[in-house]
Amino acid sequence: MHVTVPIAYHARHRPQPGVNAMRRVILAVLIATLSAGFAVADTSRPIIDVHIHYSHDAWSMLPPPEAVKVLRQAGLKKAFVSSSSDDGTQMLYRAAPDLIVPVLRPYRRRGETGTWVKDPTVIQHVEGRLKANTYAGIGEFHVFGADADLPVMRRMVELARERKIFLHAHSDADAVARIFVQDPDALVLWAHSGFDQADKVRAMLAKHKTLWADLAFRSDHAPSGKLRPEWRQLFLDYPDRFMVGTDTFTPERWHYVVEHASYSRQWLADLPTDVADKIAFGNAERLAAAVLGK
Amino acid sequence: MKRLTAIAACLAVAGAAVAIAGSQGRNAVEPAAFSADEREAILSHGPWPPPMPPDPSNRVSGNSDAIALGRWLFSDKRLSADGARSCATCHDPAKAFTDGRDRSIGLVRVDRNAIALANLRLNRWYGWAGAADSLWAQSIRPILDPKEFAATPELVRARLAADAAIRAAYARVFAAEMSRDPPERVLVNLAKALAAYQETIVTARTPFDDFRDALARGDTATLAHYPLAAQKGLKIFVGKGRCTACHLGPNFTSGEFEDVGVPYFVEAHRVDAGRFAGIAELRRSSFSLAGPHNDDAVRADAAPTRHVEQLHRNWGEFRVPSLRNVAATAPYMHNGSLATLEDVVRHYSQVDEERLHGTEGQRLLRPLHLTREEASDLVAFLKTLSSAVVSQR
Repeated sequence: MHVTVPIAYHARHRPQPGVNAMRRVILAVLIATLSAGFAVADTSRPIIDVHIHYSHDAWSMLPPPEAVKVLRQAGLKKAFVSSSSDDGTQMLYRAAPDLIVPVLRPYRRRGETGTWVKDPTVIQHVEGRLKANTYAGIGEFHVFGADADLPVMRRMVELARERKIFLHAHSDADAVARIFVQDPDALVLWAHSGFDQADKVRAMLAKHKTLWADLAFRSDHAPSGKLRPEWRQLFLDYPDRFMVGTDTFTPERWHYVVEHASYSRQWLADLPTDVADKIAFGNAERLAAAVLGK
Repeated sequence: MKRLTAIAACLAVAGAAVAIAGSQGRNAVEPAAFSADEREAILSHGPWPPPMPPDPSNRVSGNSDAIALGRWLFSDKRLSADGARSCATCHDPAKAFTDGRDRSIGLVRVDRNAIALANLRLNRWYGWAGAADSLWAQSIRPILDPKEFAATPELVRARLAADAAIRAAYARVFAAEMSRDPPERVLVNLAKALAAYQETIVTARTPFDDFRDALARGDTATLAHYPLAAQKGLKIFVGKGRCTACHLGPNFTSGEFEDVGVPYFVEAHRVDAGRFAGIAELRRSSFSLAGPHNDDAVRADAAPTRHVEQLHRNWGEFRVPSLRNVAATAPYMHNGSLATLEDVVRHYSQVDEERLHGTEGQRLLRPLHLTREEASDLVAFLKTLSSAVVSQR
């Protein structure tokens, strides 16, 4: 397997004024036509949403065909899905294999967020699932600080290395660093960019060349859909390292996927087209293709 | 002797703890002990009532003629298109200005519980989603809402201008002739009269307020009359319960919006987006403080409206309600989904953490895992935040 190590921003990634001006006009019209505060789905820029959960309490409220419909309404090219339990991911994958990128959450049910890393039975569960199904990664799991060095987490890192798949870590920078100590070549998708400030995220990306960062459940990089300068510069400097995601941590938040995709398109329009496309879908697409061998 | 030993132990553990002497008076109770931090937290919930100055965005706020007109309008069914309902239908003065339903009934069943009307001058935002930034703007909302009164400014003016008494009152309050004012101005003015009246709805002092003030002045005799269960519940409220993170100050609310793990599906395939939708509605509204109807020339109070931003976290957030008179305002939560205070305490005791997000370190809610006695004590405390009457100045 070969994963292209992200490259830094080069002079060729200059903004394209004409394209961006037109995009802004279209965006302004779109915003003006909003009704009830909810964005109309402008699907002109494809999105890969890398932070979708389809956990058990969503299944009855939003059966697989309807969940897939929501993802398509949002104009998603693909969705990285992990669920408590993994059965949710499998159901969605069967319903739309072209759309769903399965990621194995180590939680067998809700309520394991704070205990899984100290529960050795999780290992057997994950190993069994990895044998039975195809996954692009293991996660999203929650691990912080020194807990990343516990045996269960160490085994997750080993399994990811053996299978050449990524780890989707909802972690602080310390835990991410510990993962890279265990496997310097680990592929890590850092959930929520650790909720860290731009300078801290920058330092992590500079240090770890196979670290990607998702922007799920963050509004601070682009309040009201307008990029903050420090984040804009970070995206320009590391255009190959960011991805977008909604985080459907409750069933209700499935009804936010379309809105979130529209929000993402809004701030992405503030970037050069090639950079925006990478963050919108290109980086996720390449990662998925690399780990799934496609 | 055993009791004295217990008190001494409490004092030793709590450092600067304040133990309430319980030996005075016929109804005296066993004392609880409060640390210096707990004491400070308790005192922050008073005194009651706090100052409630007139609303600068409403030129008739505090005007007695406006209050009288607003009181009349509050029960006037001509404000609704079908003439069948008034403000008092869902905010019944006999029911602490609620309707006792989980979700209220307008022209159709609406999505939310009728939030109790009291102490409204202390609000920064109005309604469960904060879609209004003033009481007068909030008073317009149900009149125009197709699911509630479904009226129009034209309809309101036509109906009320036909009533000589209303016409006269309007002229007295606003120095204008109702039938000659544009319909939207009439609607806004009537809403400002409605607001002037609602501002007068203030909850009375409660047993907690007596306790709090006695604690402030070191009045051990009065302190001892506050039930022990309530004292223990109060200790949980300001301590391990972390309730004061949101229910703070004399009005027991931050005035902000939170997702406390209450499901917010309205029905299958439809959610109540809460604060997220409220901000959008606020931005669209021509009746916000940033609009032309704000009577405050300086408009200093419009800054939050101009700067409030939609955040991902706002999806499914609802206003932190005041706990004043909470025992009289069941059912609870934005959709009335919890019938009793016991249910509310159970919710927080067993809250599903995975329904909550929050950035790490900022999550306020954790399951309290209260014992049955602790839950009972917390309810006992909450009940002392209620008074038998809601006074109208």
